Amino acid sequence: MKNFEDDFYNLLNLLKIREPFAFNRFSDGELYILQNKEVIADAEQVKVGQNVTAAGIYRAEDFKRFHPDEHSFYRERLVDAFKFKKKNYFKGLSCRCCVGDENFQWQLDFHGEYDENFTWANLLVNGNYAKFIREMYPVFNEYKAVFVCNENADLSVLPFLVKDFRVGYNAMIQDYSLIERIKSWISENNIEGHLFLFSASSLSKMAIHQLYEFCDRNTYIDVGTTLNPFMGMRIDRTYLKSFWLGAKGADISKICIW
Amino acid sequence: MVKIVSGFSIPVGSTVALVNLCNQLNDRGCNCILYGPDNWHMDKCKSAKMSDFYPENDDIIIVHNIKLFSVAELYKIQDKIEELRKKTRLHSLKTTFTRHLPGSRKHVGLKLILTCQENDLFPIRRLNYGMFDKIHYAHSSQINSHKIMHQHFVCPNFRNHLISSEHKPIRTAGVIGSIRKENKTGISIEKALQDDMETVILYGYLIDPIYYYKQIVPLVKKYPGKIRFAGFIDDKQKIYDSVSDVYCAVGRAWSLVKKECALTNTCYHGPDIASMEEESMTNEQIFNVWEKELEL
Repeated sequence: MKNFEDDFYNLLNLLKIREPFAFNRFSDGELYILQNKEVIADAEQVKVGQNVTAAGIYRAEDFKRFHPDEHSFYRERLVDAFKFKKKNYFKGLSCRCCVGDENFQWQLDFHGEYDENFTWANLLVNGNYAKFIREMYPVFNEYKAVFVCNENADLSVLPFLVKDFRVGYNAMIQDYSLIERIKSWISENNIEGHLFLFSASSLSKMAIHQLYEFCDRNTYIDVGTTLNPFMGMRIDRTYLKSFWLGAKGADISKICIW
Repeated sequence: MVKIVSGFSIPVGSTVALVNLCNQLNDRGCNCILYGPDNWHMDKCKSAKMSDFYPENDDIIIVHNIKLFSVAELYKIQDKIEELRKKTRLHSLKTTFTRHLPGSRKHVGLKLILTCQENDLFPIRRLNYGMFDKIHYAHSSQINSHKIMHQHFVCPNFRNHLISSEHKPIRTAGVIGSIRKENKTGISIEKALQDDMETVILYGYLIDPIYYYKQIVPLVKKYPGKIRFAGFIDDKQKIYDSVSDVYCAVGRAWSLVKKECALTNTCYHGPDIASMEEESMTNEQIFNVWEKELEL
C-alpha cells in the first residue's frame, strides 16, 4: 500500500543523493482540464463545467481560464504531461480523499496502464508540509536552483537561486512559449545538475514534462504555493495559514490516502 | 552497548551533539546507537527509530529530553514520547501528579545517564531525576541553573573539525541556530543590519514558523533584499565559509558557535561567554571523560 510519508522521503532521498527526477502534480484544476471542462477561476467566479461553485476568491496571479474549444492545444499538452512515462518522472494525482472516489478513479482510467511512479499531487503539502519546509527546503541549498514563478514574487529570501523565469496571468496559455526559452537556456549554457522549481500553475505541468523529456540530467519540482511565505505572496491556502499563522484547520495534519 | 535515546531527533544543536557523541564513541570502538522519534538522525550516525529501542541487560542508556518518572517507562518509550508530544491538558495534569510520586529506582543491569543540553527548555526538576545514575551537563554553568543535588559530571560536546576558509565573503552575516522566539533570531538580524551587513543568512531549523511569519517576514519587508533563509545545513564548514560575521543574541555557555567562529576566522558578535577550562578540551580529552564516567 502506498504511503504518503514514504513517498515524500523517497523524493527527499533522490534529492539528497543528487539523482535527477521530476515531480509533476495534477491537482483538481488540472483534473478538470483533463476532463475537458471549462474552468474559470478569477475574482468574479469559480466555474467548473456548468457549475459556478463560488464567488471568485482568486487573485490576479492565480487567475485561470480554460475553454475546451479555444484552448484544446494546451489541454493536449497537459494530457501529454499526464501520460508521459520515464524513469524518475513522478506524477502526483489528486487523491480520493481530496477529490472523491469517482474523480480519483477517472484519472486512473484516463491514464490507462498503472504507473509505478504515481504519487500524490499533495505530496509536499498537508501532513507533509512541515517536513517539506524543514527537511526538503534546506537541501535546495545543495543545488544551483532555477525558479519559474509569478512576476510579482520576491525571490530575495531564497539563497540558492541562480536564475529565474517569470510568468503572468493564466500562464498555461499566455506564457506557453517560455518552455522553449528555458530549453534554449539549458542548451546554450550546458545546464546539468540544476534544480528547477516551478510555481506557475498549470504551465508548470507542461514545462516539467517537456523539460525532463528534453534534459533528464536536471531535477524539476512543482512546488506550487509552498514557498509563498518566503516570496511575499499570499498565504490564503488552509495548510499555509495553519503552519505559518497557527490557524485552525485539519489540512496541516492530513495524511492523504491512495 | 551504549544506547542514546532522545525525545526528538530534529536537526537542532542538541541532536547534533548526540550524533557527534554517537559517532565519536563508535569511532573509538565503543558500540553506540542513537534512537529518536524523527527522521533526521537516521543517516547521520549508527541509528534506529524509536520503535526499535528496548533496554537490555548491561546497556548504558543515555537519555535526552524525555520527561521520565520511572524506569518502566523506558520499556514503552515510543508510547511515552507520543504521549508527551500530544501535550494534552489531561497529560499535564498527569505529569503534575506523577512527578510527586516516588518512581522506581531499581534498574539492575542498566546504567542510566541523563544528558542535559538545555536549561529552561528542559528543567530537570520536573522529572524523576533520582532514577538516573548520573546527570551529564555540557557546561558547568548548568549545575547552578538546574539547582538540583545529584551525582553528575561535566563534559563539553564533541566538536566538528573546522578550518578557516581562504575566501571569506565580506559583510555577509550568518545567524546560526533554530528559528524561535527563545533564540531572538529577529534581534540578531536587526543587529547585523545596523552594523551595515549587506546580507544576513539564517541558518537554522525552523522550529517556530509562526514566530518567523510574525517577526522575520516584517524584517524582510523592512530591509528588502537583505535577508535570506537557508534552513538547517548539515555542513558547518559550508556555513562558516559563506559568512564573514556571525550574530547571536542569546548566550548559551555550552554553545559551540563562538568557538567555531574562532576556528574559521569568522567575527563573532554575541554575548561574551566566560571561558571555562572544559571549553578548550580536545575531542580526545572529551572522550576520556565519557569513557571514565560510563566505565567503558
